[in-house]
Amino acid sequence: MSDPVLSTESVTKSYGGVTALDDVSVSVPGTAVTALIGPNGSGKTTLLELLLGVERPSLGTVDYHGPEAVRRFGYLPQRPTFRPGFTVAETAAFYAGLVGDDAERLLEAVGLDAVADRRVSALSGGMTRLLGIAQALAGDPPVVVLDEPASGLDPAMSDRVFDVVADIAAAGRAVVLSSHALPLVERTADHLIVLESGQLRTVGSPAELRERTGGPLHETFPTLLDRESAVVEGDR
Amino acid sequence: MTADRVWRVFRREVRAARRSRSYLALTAVTALAVFGVAVAGEGPSGGYVPTVIDVLVVVELLVPAVAFAVGYRALSDPIARGELDVMNTYPLPAWGYVGGTYAGRAVVLVAVVGLPVAALGAYVAATAGPETTVFASHRGVDSPLLYLRFLALTLVYGLVSLSLVFLLSVVAGARDRALVLALAGLLVLSVGGDVAVFAALDAGILADTSLGGALAVTPAGAYRGLVFDQVLYVAVPTRSAFVPGWLATAALLCWWGATLVGTAVIATLR
Repeated sequence: MSDPVLSTESVTKSYGGVTALDDVSVSVPGTAVTALIGPNGSGKTTLLELLLGVERPSLGTVDYHGPEAVRRFGYLPQRPTFRPGFTVAETAAFYAGLVGDDAERLLEAVGLDAVADRRVSALSGGMTRLLGIAQALAGDPPVVVLDEPASGLDPAMSDRVFDVVADIAAAGRAVVLSSHALPLVERTADHLIVLESGQLRTVGSPAELRERTGGPLHETFPTLLDRESAVVEGDR
Repeated sequence: MTADRVWRVFRREVRAARRSRSYLALTAVTALAVFGVAVAGEGPSGGYVPTVIDVLVVVELLVPAVAFAVGYRALSDPIARGELDVMNTYPLPAWGYVGGTYAGRAVVLVAVVGLPVAALGAYVAATAGPETTVFASHRGVDSPLLYLRFLALTLVYGLVSLSLVFLLSVVAGARDRALVLALAGLLVLSVGGDVAVFAALDAGILADTSLGGALAVTPAGAYRGLVFDQVLYVAVPTRSAFVPGWLATAALLCWWGATLVGTAVIATLR
């Protein structure tokens, strides 16, 4: 496993009286795909937002150890939407222009160059997600954070999105994502962080966790949790 | 480099507006309202000042309404759909995003309000009698320069209204809340300031002698006071301003600056 590009030290995040994340210490290796998995409400999005710096921890620290860059993080929110009235090419050009990047390169990286002239409002959910990933790659950030990149997508599009994720990591970046699509996570991720009820349950590679649970994670995942009734979506 | 990024945000706003038919419709409605009121009042045949007298009340109400239509979703939408979080990952400070977006929407507002009001001025020039002179060299004379002052003050009032809308938009952070806050803000901006001043007068909190000063610190009162001071009373030698001009000018500048800075600060701290 390569050196960490991001780490948290005893991070806690509370919203009013609700603790979304409690004393979590994790590392995110570079040039690898790190997946945050856990039931709904386990704190995955909160941890992603803390790693990104969108949210500040109530307690603890988040440290970036990666190289200096024009843009440290690329970010795909859970439901990316874009300004209506613009084409795919114009949208990509806007984000690329903010960091002196090439819009065509971004669209080619996610396979959207063939629909560059299409209005963003005419894109399918999967294509919108891919455009969001293209946006996240603008400026060649060392860390790319993807919040539920395949949620709500059909199996073929989910496969395509995770193939793109694998390509991003293979190009030398750290990818951090949250997902319920465990079969795809098992196939793509190098490092898993398991969260439940805002607490860190365990970390490890898919192979290590499979060995611990005794089977494919999408079938045996609840055994990693405290409560066996945990809801995990995405089995297919 | 930050200036270039702000420029890109500005350019995107203007491009989006150019492609939107709703702004064309808004401009047409604004034109219909100001022309309708002016023609019904027969101000254009009397000259520039009579026209301003005819349309002042309507413009005073229309300008905040247009500002709210142009700006109430300007920041709440990007917040709700996560665009502001995405923009935070780019080397563009939140104030730059706010500034570029504001500048873009300001161009829209200037077009939606300015074009109909300017067209009305051109209509007056074409239809007014010979007593309407080209240049006013002394008080008591109607002039297109007075109308230009009215136009300029109206646009300044529009920009102040828009900055207030931006503040409400960033505070709302969601489309439904933005709409409610925008409507509340519209009421406060249009009539709330005057009502508050007169309520304070009625309750004895405010002395009669302070009325002009108190009216001058509300955006609508400051705008109205400056129009009277700089346009209407210039053509009436015996009258003087009912609000201190310097105070009204300072009030508009303070509203504009404070709300824009407040918006940028809130966007940064989100």
